[in-house]
Amino acid sequence: MSVILKTEKLRVEYPNRESRQGRKVALSGLDLEVNAGEVFGFLGPNGAGKTTTMNVLLGFLPPTSGTASLFGIDVRQPIARQRIGYLPENTYYYKFLTAEELLRFYARIFGLTSAEADRRIAELIQLVELGHAAKRAIKTYSKGMQQRVGLAQALINNPDLLIFDEPTSGLDPLGRMKVREIIQRLKNEGKTVFFSSHELGEVETVCDRVAIINQGELKVRGSVADLVERHQANLEKVFLDIIGYQPQPVS
Amino acid sequence: MNTVWALSGVVIKELYRRKDFYVLLVLTGLITLAAGSANFFNDAKIVVYLKDLCLLLIWISALVIAVGTAARQIPAEREQRTIFPLLAKPVTRWQVILGKFLGCWLACGLALVVFYAFFVVVTGSREHHWPLLNYFQALWLQWIMLGVVIALVLFGSIIFSAPSANATICIVVVVGILLIGRHLNKVALQQPEPLQTLIYVVYFLIPHLEWYDVRDLIVYDHALISWWHCGLATLYGAVYVLLFLFVAWLAFRRKRLSV
Amino acid sequence: MMKASPPLVLALLLAVCFTVATSTQRHALNWSTRAQADSVLKVLLGDGRRMFANHFFTQADVTFHSGYYPSIFDRREKPSTSPMQSGHDDHDDHEAEAGHVHGEHCNHGEDAHEKEMAFLNQPRDWIERFGRHFFVTDHTHLAKGREREILPWLRLSAELDPQRVQTYTVAAFWLRTQLGKVAEAEEFLREGLRANPQSYEILFALGQVRYDHHQDVVRARNLWEVALRYWKEQESGKPEPDLSSLREITLHLARLEEAEGNWRRAIEHLKVAKMVSPQPELLQQQIEELQQKLAESP
Repeated sequence: MSVILKTEKLRVEYPNRESRQGRKVALSGLDLEVNAGEVFGFLGPNGAGKTTTMNVLLGFLPPTSGTASLFGIDVRQPIARQRIGYLPENTYYYKFLTAEELLRFYARIFGLTSAEADRRIAELIQLVELGHAAKRAIKTYSKGMQQRVGLAQALINNPDLLIFDEPTSGLDPLGRMKVREIIQRLKNEGKTVFFSSHELGEVETVCDRVAIINQGELKVRGSVADLVERHQANLEKVFLDIIGYQPQPVS
Repeated sequence: MNTVWALSGVVIKELYRRKDFYVLLVLTGLITLAAGSANFFNDAKIVVYLKDLCLLLIWISALVIAVGTAARQIPAEREQRTIFPLLAKPVTRWQVILGKFLGCWLACGLALVVFYAFFVVVTGSREHHWPLLNYFQALWLQWIMLGVVIALVLFGSIIFSAPSANATICIVVVVGILLIGRHLNKVALQQPEPLQTLIYVVYFLIPHLEWYDVRDLIVYDHALISWWHCGLATLYGAVYVLLFLFVAWLAFRRKRLSV
Repeated sequence: MMKASPPLVLALLLAVCFTVATSTQRHALNWSTRAQADSVLKVLLGDGRRMFANHFFTQADVTFHSGYYPSIFDRREKPSTSPMQSGHDDHDDHEAEAGHVHGEHCNHGEDAHEKEMAFLNQPRDWIERFGRHFFVTDHTHLAKGREREILPWLRLSAELDPQRVQTYTVAAFWLRTQLGKVAEAEEFLREGLRANPQSYEILFALGQVRYDHHQDVVRARNLWEVALRYWKEQESGKPEPDLSSLREITLHLARLEEAEGNWRRAIEHLKVAKMVSPQPELLQQQIEELQQKLAESP
């Protein structure tokens, strides 16, 4: 099975703004491998280094040391991002554009022909059920609708790898269900999905494999079934054990 | 280049969907028409003051549009976080800078065409002659100047985090150059050393934007500038545009972006 | 505690505001005279309007030179002998001393103006040399009726600073001599006179309108004599009086009296003019000619 996403001894350090001296280690020797066609859950508590990892994978941050590659190409090369789709945690789009214009803009970036873009936009608008609002400015959309526009833009280039950052964050149960359905559908189409989430139930439902990091270090990696079997507990319990959470007795 | 054009298209859409341009156009129109309706000693042939006023308003409006549009581009991308889905695509930071520049420049060009069309109608209705080539030269040179201003502002927008601070500083610099740029060598000669050398260095370093202000030639119906000199001025402007875009890219390339 | 009703609070606040406003109004009037000014511009700009008036007056001169004008970096003072401003003097000198100082005096004025406007020296560097392709480098004056283009700036200058006498006299000069708008010139001068009732310059210019365009000798004489009286009242005690105006007024009065056959009075005016003229010998010659005529007359 081919490796699509890979990090080797990935280390990221930030200048420490709080103490104004020394450097804060955000990631320390992270090794990850995501295979083609799998749904990979990337878990960790807040501040564990999930977002930093994503920032490196997307080329927003240069690693201090180590390497990260997508499809075997160093992430610092823009071409590495040709076959990926990215959905940020919150909705960050040009609010003065309509959904259709936004998708056309991203389609142009990927070099889609006009006819190809038309076809793809129509498909995606239908997929995310925004047909009724496609010609309305994004600023008039609800949060759920904006998240769906986000999904559509992440899929505009028919990517082989999807990187989702908390894809269901802030959505109502129906919205979460729809996102989950789309991830499942993408998996069935043979796409690779790499996503971070706090929703462990969701991860358990859709992921083939997971990695759990804490304080910038990889704690565990493996298939969901193996982890659950090994720890004789559900994923939430496994997660809490791994990050070393000690429940306080309720007085 | 597809990416650059796509990025510029978004900037142009932003300009014509915002109210700034329309407000400035309406203001220019109203002030010019109000001034045009004034009666000076029962002489209906007086036109110079109207041309002068209209061109001044066009210059102010174009500068406000150029600086305002360019100053908010990259800070807004970062503040509203649209930069992340954008850079998550196969887009380089150089393409972002270039696309933003091209968008602002083309948007200003469109705005200038509308403003000059109004100017041509107003002056033509009074003078009954249409020196369109002269007007084209004035528009072209102003557009080139706006290119330099936009590139400067884009560079500023990467250095200064607040768009308002960047816009204010850039406006002061640009207006300063327009007003005293061409006299700096004379000022230098009146100063003692080492101030003299310092001012002379500044004189040779700054982009001489005042060259592109040919309002007087238009207002007073002077002859066309030779196209050769217009071409050289265009080249000079292009060099400064590239210089500012390059330093903007250097600064932007090193910016840490984190979601 | 009783809950306050918003409309009641609003009404109370309005009543307080009204009371404070009415009680402080008469004190506020004493703080500044600006609020009581008769013109909107004065209220808006205060004394700053004079600065704008100066700017517009200079702008008229810039327009007269079709944009060719020195900046503060080219010279410390604006050209003092600009034909827009001093053309009036030259012209009147020409009229008053016709046949005597015409050539020499006018050439002197033009030469001085040319010299002052030759502010573009050899370019010091390539930036300056190249930059000259993009701004006005020819010294020209508006002509053939295009002088009208300076009028809006003068009108604005007068609106902003009605006490600036030169604005009225310069505008009136161009209106009546080049643009054939005698009625407008007279009306503008009268407007200036209302704002400056004791201005000998405006009275003199009004006299010119009456004499040159209406052949109204009586009113012209009256106006010039009043102008002469005001000149004496205002200028004679000054360390540096406005002698050129005195020369203009007395020369015009002398010509008028000469034309009317009042040679004795003409001689009196010429004697005054001689004292302040740059060419007293020419005026002395005219005085002698008139004295001879007077002697020969019965």
